[in-house]
Amino acid sequence: MNHEPQNPLLATTRRHFFNRCGMGLGSVALASLMADKAKAVVPKLVNPFAPKGGHATAKAKRVIYLFMAGGPSQLELFDYKPKLVELNGQPIPQSYIEGKRFAFMGSSHGVKCLGTRKHFERRGQAGTWISDMLPYTSGVADDIAVVTTCATNLFNHAPAKLFMNTGSGQFGRPSLGAWATYGIGSEANDLPGFVVLQSGPRGPRGGAVNWGSGFLPTTFQGVPLRGQGEPILNLTSPAGITAARQRRTLDAVRDLNLQRLVATGDDEINTRISAYEMAYRMQSSAPELIDISGESKATLDLYGVDPAKPSFARNCLLARRLIERGTRFVQLYHTNWDSHGGPGETLEDDFPKVVKDVDQGCAALVKDLKARGLLEDTLVIWGGEFGRTPMGENRDKTGRNHHIDAFSMWFAGGGIKGGQTVGETDELGFGVAHDRCHVHDLHATILHLLGLDHLKLTFRFQGRDYRLTDVHGELIHKLLA
Amino acid sequence: MKLNAAIGTLAASAAALVAAPVDYVREIQPLLAQNCYQCHGATQPKHGLRLDTAALALKGGQAGPAIKPGKSSDSLLVQVISGTHKDLARMPYKKPPLSAAQIALVRRWIDEGAKAPANEVPGSKAHWAFVAPKRPAVPTIGNRQSAIAHPIDAFIRARLAKEKLTPSPEADRPTLIRRLSLDLLGLPPKPADVDAFVNDQSPDAYEKLVERLLASPHYGERWGRWWLDVARYADSNGYSIDAPRTIWRYRDWVIAALNRDLPFDQFTIEQLAGDMLPNATMEQKVATGFHRNTQINQEGGIDKEQFRLESVVDRVNTTGAAWLGLTVGCMQCHDHKFDPLLQKEYYGLFAMLNNQDEPDLPLVSADQAKHVAEIEARVAGYIADLFKKDAGIVDRELKWETSMTPEQRQAMPQLWREVFDVPPTQRTDAQKLVMVTSYVEHAAENKTHQAAIKKFRAEKPKVETTMVMREAAKARRTYLHIKGDFTRDGGDVKAHFPSALHPFKGVADREPNRLDLAHWLVDEANPLTARVVVNRVWQQYFGKGLVDTENDFGTQGSLPSHPELLDWLAVEFQKPSGSSRGNEAPSEKAASQSLLTSAATRPWSLKGLHRLIVTSATYRQSSAVRADLQRVDANNKLLARQNRLRLDAEIVRDVGLTASGLLTPTLGGPSVYPPIPENAMALGQRKQPWPTSTGPDRFRRGLYTFYYRATPPPSMNVFDAPDGYSTCTRRIRSNTPLQALALLNDTAYVEFAEGLATRVLKEVPANDTTRLEHAFRLCLARKPSATEATRLGELLKAETASVTDAEVKAVKAPAGVEPKQFAAWTTVARVLLNLDEAITRE
Repeated sequence: MNHEPQNPLLATTRRHFFNRCGMGLGSVALASLMADKAKAVVPKLVNPFAPKGGHATAKAKRVIYLFMAGGPSQLELFDYKPKLVELNGQPIPQSYIEGKRFAFMGSSHGVKCLGTRKHFERRGQAGTWISDMLPYTSGVADDIAVVTTCATNLFNHAPAKLFMNTGSGQFGRPSLGAWATYGIGSEANDLPGFVVLQSGPRGPRGGAVNWGSGFLPTTFQGVPLRGQGEPILNLTSPAGITAARQRRTLDAVRDLNLQRLVATGDDEINTRISAYEMAYRMQSSAPELIDISGESKATLDLYGVDPAKPSFARNCLLARRLIERGTRFVQLYHTNWDSHGGPGETLEDDFPKVVKDVDQGCAALVKDLKARGLLEDTLVIWGGEFGRTPMGENRDKTGRNHHIDAFSMWFAGGGIKGGQTVGETDELGFGVAHDRCHVHDLHATILHLLGLDHLKLTFRFQGRDYRLTDVHGELIHKLLA
Repeated sequence: MKLNAAIGTLAASAAALVAAPVDYVREIQPLLAQNCYQCHGATQPKHGLRLDTAALALKGGQAGPAIKPGKSSDSLLVQVISGTHKDLARMPYKKPPLSAAQIALVRRWIDEGAKAPANEVPGSKAHWAFVAPKRPAVPTIGNRQSAIAHPIDAFIRARLAKEKLTPSPEADRPTLIRRLSLDLLGLPPKPADVDAFVNDQSPDAYEKLVERLLASPHYGERWGRWWLDVARYADSNGYSIDAPRTIWRYRDWVIAALNRDLPFDQFTIEQLAGDMLPNATMEQKVATGFHRNTQINQEGGIDKEQFRLESVVDRVNTTGAAWLGLTVGCMQCHDHKFDPLLQKEYYGLFAMLNNQDEPDLPLVSADQAKHVAEIEARVAGYIADLFKKDAGIVDRELKWETSMTPEQRQAMPQLWREVFDVPPTQRTDAQKLVMVTSYVEHAAENKTHQAAIKKFRAEKPKVETTMVMREAAKARRTYLHIKGDFTRDGGDVKAHFPSALHPFKGVADREPNRLDLAHWLVDEANPLTARVVVNRVWQQYFGKGLVDTENDFGTQGSLPSHPELLDWLAVEFQKPSGSSRGNEAPSEKAASQSLLTSAATRPWSLKGLHRLIVTSATYRQSSAVRADLQRVDANNKLLARQNRLRLDAEIVRDVGLTASGLLTPTLGGPSVYPPIPENAMALGQRKQPWPTSTGPDRFRRGLYTFYYRATPPPSMNVFDAPDGYSTCTRRIRSNTPLQALALLNDTAYVEFAEGLATRVLKEVPANDTTRLEHAFRLCLARKPSATEATRLGELLKAETASVTDAEVKAVKAPAGVEPKQFAAWTTVARVLLNLDEAITRE
C-alpha cells in the first residue's frame, strides 16, 4: 500500500509548462529559474488518487451501489414466506420477539403477522424467488445473487445508514466508498473517484456523513453529482467568464504558483497546480458526462430514461458513464422506502411507486453493463439500511416497521456468483435460519472483491489501526464465483 | 526506507557522540510500551514474560531472563528484536521491526547496566504522560556573545546542534507580519500595517506587533474557532432531521472568554459545570453549552433514552480527547487494550456527566420571564377553554392530523410529535389537549383563534435562548453497559476517577459530580491537561504537535519530539516563572527583558502561551524548504525551519473578504447566510432554508456562517472544516480540485474578486504598475518580484485587449469605475485570490 507512483499530473504540468507556455518574458525567466532550483529541491508529488494495487487480485475494479434509502420491504420483494401469509392477522409467537427492541416501541409498533399480498414466483434458470412487483429485475434473475439473510445492528434510519456505510454507528468513520478509493485509488483523470447521485423525493437522512471520509483525508470523500442545476457545485465558470478567459486565468495562476514553488520548494504547491488542472478538466468532463444526448434510443429505452427529467433510471445510466470514465465507486441513493403505513408511506399505494421508480433502471444497468463487457469487473450492489418486520404496523393503512434481523440485498457482477439465493430466513422471515450475512461480512466481501483484505486495509488514528470491519467480518464464500 | 535508515544511522551516531547514559524512563520504557506491552504487559503476558518494568524484564518468562545487564549480545531481548535468535521469531511479532537506532539504544542501555528506577510500578502507570511534568532546566547553548535567550529556542536548538543542523534565518518582515496576523487574528494585514512594521526600527518592533494583535478582538474569533472544533460546535441538531438550533451564544461566550484571556482552568470549569458554581451568572450558564453541542435525534420511532445515553457517551469521549488527550472511547465497550484504563472507570466518568437536564436557557431578566409566563398562561387558558366548550374540536383535530404528510409531522415540536405517535383511542385528556393546542395554533382553518393568540403574544418581549446544562436534583442511576450496549446492564457504577491518573482531592462524603470532574481536569497534579493543550496550541503554529498524535497521549501515541520542551511549556503554562530564566547574554538583554515582563502572566493564560511561542526565533524562521534538511529531516520534526500551512476553511474566506475590502468586522450574533451554490442544501433529508444574507451580514467572517451538520456549507466543507459530529482536535489539510472550483467559481469569491478590482481602481491613481502592486499586497502582504509583476502585467494587457464591446455592456461595473477596466481587473483579482500563497500561511 506504500506505492508512490510517479505522478502523471506533475509530468503533464511540467511538460505543458515548458512546451506550451513558453510565451512571455516572465515565463522564460521562470523556466531558467526552475532549471536551477529544481536541482536543489526536487519536489516529489504523490497523487492521492493514482491507481494502486490492492492486496490481492481484484475480481471487481469498481462498484455501483444502489442504496434504497428508508429500508425496502424484503417480504414484498424477495423473501417469500407462505407461512406468514397463513398466519396473517395472528399475533407473532412470543418466542420471536422476546427481548427485542424496535423503532416506534411506544406507539405504532405491531405484533400481528402481516402476510404479503404480492404474488411470488421462481425466476430464471436458478428459480430465484422474486415477486411480481419486480418484472424487470426478474429478467436478470440469473445475473444477480439475492442475499435474504442480511443483518445489521441499528434500527433507526440515520444511525442505520451510517452503520451500513461505515460499519459503525459512531460518527467520524470513513464510508465504504472512501475506504475503497483510499485502498485502490481511482482511474479517473478528470472526474472524482467516488461519486454520489441522488433521486427520490428527498435526500438521504444524515446527508454528507453517509459518503464522508471520516478520519481519512477528505480527498477520499464522495462528491455529490447533482440531478439539477450544476452537476458539481461551483463547476460552472462565473457569468461573463468565457472558456478562453478561464484558461488565461488558470495559466496565470499556474505560472505564479510555479514561481512560488521555486521560491519555497514546497510540494503542496505542485499538488495545488495539479488540482487546478483537474478542476479545469472537470469543467468540461462533467457536463460531457451528464449530457446523455449521444446515448442511443435503444439505451434510453432500456433504462426508461426521459432525458429531460432527473430520475433514478437516469442516475443508473450516469453511473455506467461514470465507471466508463474511470470513477471507482458510484453510490446512488433513492428515497423513500420507509413504508410504515402512514400517509405517503403505505404498502398498498406508495411502496409500489418506489419499486416502480427503480426496477427498470436496476435491471437495465445490469444488462447494459453485461452487453458492454463491464459487468465482469463491476460490482453492483442493491439494498437499504435495513428491512421491514414480518408484523404489520398499527397505522392508518398497511405498513411494516424497521427490521434488522433479516433483510434482503442483491449483488451482481465482478466476482459474484449470480443466479442464486444466499441464506435462508426462518418460516416467518423474522430471523436467519442459516448463513447470516452481517454488514461487517458484506463489507469484508466487497473489499475482497476489490482485491483488498479487510484485515489489512487499515488507517492509524488515535493510536489505533482502524478497519472498515472493526474487529469483525467474515468472507461470504457462497457469494463468490 | 533508505531515508529512514539514514536518519537512524545519524541518530545513532549523534547519540554515541553525546555519550550521556541512556535514560530508561525517557528513552527505553516508552519504546517497550509502544512495541511490547500489547503482548508482554500486565494482562495475560505471552510466555509469562512481562516487560512493563525493568525488574520484570530481568526476571523474564518461560524462556529465561529477557536482559543480562552489561551483556547486550547475550540478552534475549536484543536477540529477538534483531531477529538473530535461532528459535524465537523476530519481535514485535508480525509487526514492523524496530529501527536500527532503536535497537542500538536498547543495546546501549543494557551494556550500561540496564539501570532503571527501583520504585517502578508494574502496569504502565509510569507511562511518561501519566507522570506530572516537572519544569526541566533550560539547556545552555551558544557562547557568551550569542547565547540563546528564549527558552523555546534553547530547547529546539540544543536538539538541532545534536544533529549538527542549523536553524533557518528569520523570515522577512512582510512574511512575519502576515504570518502573525493570520495566526493570531485569522486575518491578513493591511498594506499600511505592513509598511509600519517594515519601517519600525525599534528593537522591540516585533514584540509591539505581537501585543497589538493579542489585544485585537479578532484574536478571540481566530482562537475561538480553534476551541469550537474541539467543542464540535454547529448550528443544527444533526442525525436525520438536522433541524436548526440556537446555541450561538455559546460560540460568542468562547470568543469573549478568549478575548479577556479567561485563564484556561476557569475556562474549563465554566464550560463543564458553570451552572453548578455558587451564584452562577448567566454567562457561566451559557458556557455549559460546550457539552450541549451533541447531536439530537429527532427521527420518529426512536428510543429517546438510547440517544440521550449516546450524547453522554459523546461527552465522555470529548472530555477525554479535549483535556486528557486519551482515547477513552475504547473503554466504552471493554477495558482499554493498551492503556491502564478500565471499562468500569469509563462509566465512573460517565456517572459525572449523566445527571443533567438539558434545557434551553432563556436569556431574559426575571421581570421579562414573568411577563412571558403570564402571556403564555393566557394563551393556554384560551385554548383550554376551547377544549372544554367546543365539543367537536377533538374530531376536527384528528381529521387535520391524518391529513398531514410525514414531513409536516416531523416539522412539529418534539412534544407534539410524541403524541402523534400515540393512537388516538389511547390518548389521555392531557394528550388530547396537547394535540388541540397544536391544531389550534397550526391548522389553516383556525384563523380567528390564531389571530386572538397572536394578539396575546404581541406584547411578548423577544426572548433569545441558548442550550445549556442544568444539574438535576435527583441523580440518575449509572450502570456499566456490557460491550457498550446500553440494553445490557452490567451493574451499578458509582462516579469515580481512573486510578491510573492523579487522585481527586475533593470531598469524600459524596460521589464526585460534574463540577468535581472539571476541577480534577485542571488540578495541578493532572499530568495531561496542560501538556495536551500546549501541544494543540503548538500544532496550530507549526502544523504538527510536539506529540504528533495530539489525540492520543496514551501508550500507543507517538513520543514527543522534544519531551523537555513539552514539559517546560506545560509547566510554564500552569505556573509562569516570571523570574529570570538565566542564560541571557547582555546583547540580548533588552529584547528578552521585554519578553519576560509581558510573559510574567497569570497562570493558565492562553495569551501568555501564544506570546511565548510567537516570540521565539523558532516560530519566526523562514519556511522555505532546505535541500540539506530534506535528506535528514524531511518531515521537519526538528524544526530547523517553519512550515507552510494551508489556511483553515474560515480563514480562506476571511482572506478574500479582507483583501476585497468587503469584510463586515462585527463580532458575534446569530449565524449568517452568505451566498452558497444553488442546490447545496438539497442533499439532506430536509431541504434546509438558506435565506441568503444581504447587506453587511453577507460579508461576515467564515466562523459566523450558519453550519448545518448534514449539509455543511460547501466552501467550508471542501476546505476541511470539521463536520461537528464529533470532537475534532486536528484538522486535515487536503488539497483537491473541488477547492479550486470553489475559489474560481463560487459566487462569494466572484464578489471578492469584483470587490478587490473596484477597490484597487478606486484607491490607486491610474498607474497599472502601482495598482498591481497594491492588489498583490492586499492579498499577500509582500511586494511582487519582477517576474511576478511582469506575468501579471501580461495578463492585464491580454485581458484588457480581449474584453469585447458586448462584455463591456454586460459588465455591472460600480459607479465611477470604467467597465472595461473593471472586467480586466476582476480577472487579475481572481488570479491573485486563487494563488496558493493567498490561502497559505508562509
